[in-house]
Parts: sequence; C-alpha cells; structure tokens
Amino acid sequence: MQQSILKEPIVIAENLSVSFLIQRHGINNFKDFVITMGVKSPFEKKNVLKGLDLTIYKGECFGVMGRNGSGKSTFLRTIAGIMKPDEGKLTVKGRVAPLMALGVGLEPELTGMENIKLVGTLIGFEKTELNASLQAIIDFSELSADEINMQVKRYSSGMMARLAFSIAVATDPDILIIDEALAVGDMGFRNKCAKRIDEIKAAGSTIIYVSHHLEEIKKICSRACYLEHGRVEMIGDVHEVCDYYEHQVIRKKA
Amino acid sequence: MKQFNTFPKFWGLIQELALKTVKLRYKNSMLGFLWSMMNPLIYLVIFTFVFSYAFPGIDRYPLYALTGLMFWTFFSSSSIQVIESVINNSGVLKSINVPTIAFPLAAQVASLISLFLSLIPFSILMLIFGLEIGWETLLFLPILFLFACFTFGVSLILCSLNVYFRDIQLAWTSFMPAIFYSSPIAYTTSVIPEKFLWLMKLNPLYHFITILREILYYNRIPSLMQFLAIFALAVIPLVLGLYIFKRLERGFVSQY
Repeated sequence: MQQSILKEPIVIAENLSVSFLIQRHGINNFKDFVITMGVKSPFEKKNVLKGLDLTIYKGECFGVMGRNGSGKSTFLRTIAGIMKPDEGKLTVKGRVAPLMALGVGLEPELTGMENIKLVGTLIGFEKTELNASLQAIIDFSELSADEINMQVKRYSSGMMARLAFSIAVATDPDILIIDEALAVGDMGFRNKCAKRIDEIKAAGSTIIYVSHHLEEIKKICSRACYLEHGRVEMIGDVHEVCDYYEHQVIRKKA
Repeated sequence: MKQFNTFPKFWGLIQELALKTVKLRYKNSMLGFLWSMMNPLIYLVIFTFVFSYAFPGIDRYPLYALTGLMFWTFFSSSSIQVIESVINNSGVLKSINVPTIAFPLAAQVASLISLFLSLIPFSILMLIFGLEIGWETLLFLPILFLFACFTFGVSLILCSLNVYFRDIQLAWTSFMPAIFYSSPIAYTTSVIPEKFLWLMKLNPLYHFITILREILYYNRIPSLMQFLAIFALAVIPLVLGLYIFKRLERGFVSQY
C-alpha cells in the first residue's frame, strides 16, 4: 500500500519511436547529392527505438541493459532532450543531468577552474549557482589548489574523470543519467562516487543507469529493463532482468 | 526540459563560450593577438606596393585598402569559425542538452570580440594613413552590426549544410579567394567597365564595403538607399539562415 502511494511516475515513454537519419549508401559527398537530387533523398530513416513503452518512477534507481545497438544510448539521449521523438510521447518531469560520457565539454587548454565554469554553464548552471557550488566541486574532485589551476591537458585521465564527475553531480538533479561512466578513477574515488550516488538517491532524485556490468547494476539499481531492437523486452526486478540478460548473451553466443 | 529557456541564462552560455574561444585563441602563443593582425597587414603591404602603382589614381591608398581589409578579415575568419562550430562541438551536442544554435552564435560573438580588439591597432594605422574622424564615423557601429548579421546568416546556412556534407567547409575555403578578388577591397570600382558594374553589385560585400568607405574614407554620410540596401542584405540572409538552421537541426544528431 505504502509502495503505491510513493510511486509517482517521472519518466513516461508511450509508444516512443526515435530514428536516425542515415546517409544512404553511395551518397557521401556533395557531388553525389547534386547528381541524385530530386531522384532520391540522400538520407534514409533508421528506427532505433520502435514503440518503446516504459515508466520510471520518482526516487527509484533504474537500470537499462541491452546489447550493443539495442537503443540504450538513444533512449537516454531522448530523455535528456538531445534527440526528439518521431512518434509517441515522452514525458520527463524535472531537470535532467546527463552523464553520457565523462569529460565531455572539457577544454584541455584551459585550467581545471576555468573548466568548472565552462562545463557548469554548459550543463545549465546559472552564474550564482555555479559560484555557490564552486568550492564543493573542487572539494569533491580531491584536486589540490595547484592542480585545479593547472591546464586540464596535463591531468591524468583519472584526475580528468574526477573533475568531470564532480561537476556533473554538483547539484541534486531530479533525474541523473549515468551511461557507463563510473568505471573511472582509483578505488577511493569510485567509492566516493557510489556514496554520492546514494546521497543523490536519498535526496529523492531518480537515477537511470546503463551498464553491461551486472554486479554494478545489481548493487545500485532496484528495477531494470532489457532492451532489444528498440523495444522493452523485459522489465522487472533487477536480479531477474540480469539473469535474463545473461541467458540472452549465452544463447546468442551458442 | 528546456534548460536554457530564459534569456539571461542563454546569454550567459553564449558569453562563456565566446570568451573561451577568444581566450584559447590567444592563450598559447605569446604574440597571439599580433599574429591575428599579421594577415591583413601583409595584404596591406603587398597591396600598397602593387596596387598603388597599378592604380595611382587612389588617394591615400593604404587607408582605402584598410577599410576594405578590415571587413574582409572579419568576414573570412568568422564565416569559417561559424561553419565549423557545430561539427567541432559534436561531442558536447550529443551528450548534453544545449541549444545547438549556441555554438554558431558564440563563434560569431567571439569573432566580433576579436574584431573590436583589432580595431585598436587598425584605427591607429588608419589615423597614420590619413583617417579623419567626424560625427559620421559613429555610423561605423550600426554598419558593423548589420555586416555581422549578414555574415552570421550566410555562415549559418553553410553551417547547417556542413553538418550533412563536410565538403561545404572545404569548398568554402577554396571559394574564399574568389570572393576576395571579386570584391572591391584592393581596387576601386572605377577600374571596372561600366557594363560589368551590375555584376559586381550582385556581390553583397560590395555594398557593405562601399558604405563603409563612404564614412571612413570619403567622410560622407551615406545615402538612405545605401542604408536600406545593407539593411536588406543583413536581414534576408539572417532570417533565411535561422530558418534553414531550424529546419535541418533535427537531423544533426544523426550526423555527429
């Protein structure tokens, strides 16, 4: 009973279809385009998501699994508002913080400090918000005062990942999307990331987590779905879906 | 869902991106700013040597050439940067929900900032070569603004096409010298035979450069017709550019 009261949908996908424009084979340059103009369109649509139905509830940690090319990233991009649905409906309530790839938007020539401002602005911080959380970001990243004023191109990849993650999780977003971005940094930092994710979860945010790493998914998520050919093939308890995923992979291999 | 729905927030993003571009341009080379001045200066020296002999009729030739070169440098550098802006930021655009238009717009703003910085040495040079400052000089600002709108509109069209066909940016770079030599930057239109003058007037740059010369070189207030012409030349490409960009934007993400 209690459970059902708490269940407030935050992401609702109804018959969601999203497509890519794929350059038709043989038309890769302007010359071909001009020659075939009017005869055939240089692009064809490739449906990545085909009528996907899914509801994610507020405050839960939801895992998305599926083989390469099954539409996981496209689904996340659509939630983040980067891609637009062709058909169907997608309702997303609240601010989305996408963590699609770590280090996106970082400018190697600028210092860590300058990058916090740059990437912070890109992911939608206002100036005042940014100044308020500046110290928190630096503290979380565990970069020393020297390091934060160093050009990011001189960072080790771990340091860069720490900086990027710190900026992304600086505020509690309504929805945090993590696309296989956690396997970074040293042990200590990874634990800290996991802790921060728990904190975000405790603050009432929803987390959508994509990974091929079953142990990781089982540890973080409570519910999960398995995508195949742009549709939800299975949805349910994380352990059941993980088992199903394992079976699928073994079956396909055999 | 819209994260940059308020104007101050969107403008904050443009500022941050434009400042980044300007900073990067001048950060790694000690003489960064001076280098960006080199290109027009080299042209100026060559032109002065070659053309002031070829067309001895032009009074204060260096000033004449500079007024054209200033606009040309702005046009060529900003169009290239705007055209490449979306492709160069594809990594960001496919993982963060940022309005795509922010990148071309920031590139254009960055070019404007660079232009204003270069105005300092340019105006010193122009004063040396006999520029006379009067009230009409102030008209420089609205003309520049309209020219920036024109540049942005044209570049935006090419930028949207460039996402689908990368040939565009290559073609544009090789097309540049043709535009340069068909614009009255180094020469006056008086050397063009009367019957071909209409051809020259098809080049939008002709109108912008002529009106700029009216104020900076001839110290005259341009006619209303001239203003209306550049106003139309600024607004039409801008509206068209924004429209085409909006139409093609949806498919961008598939091309990154």
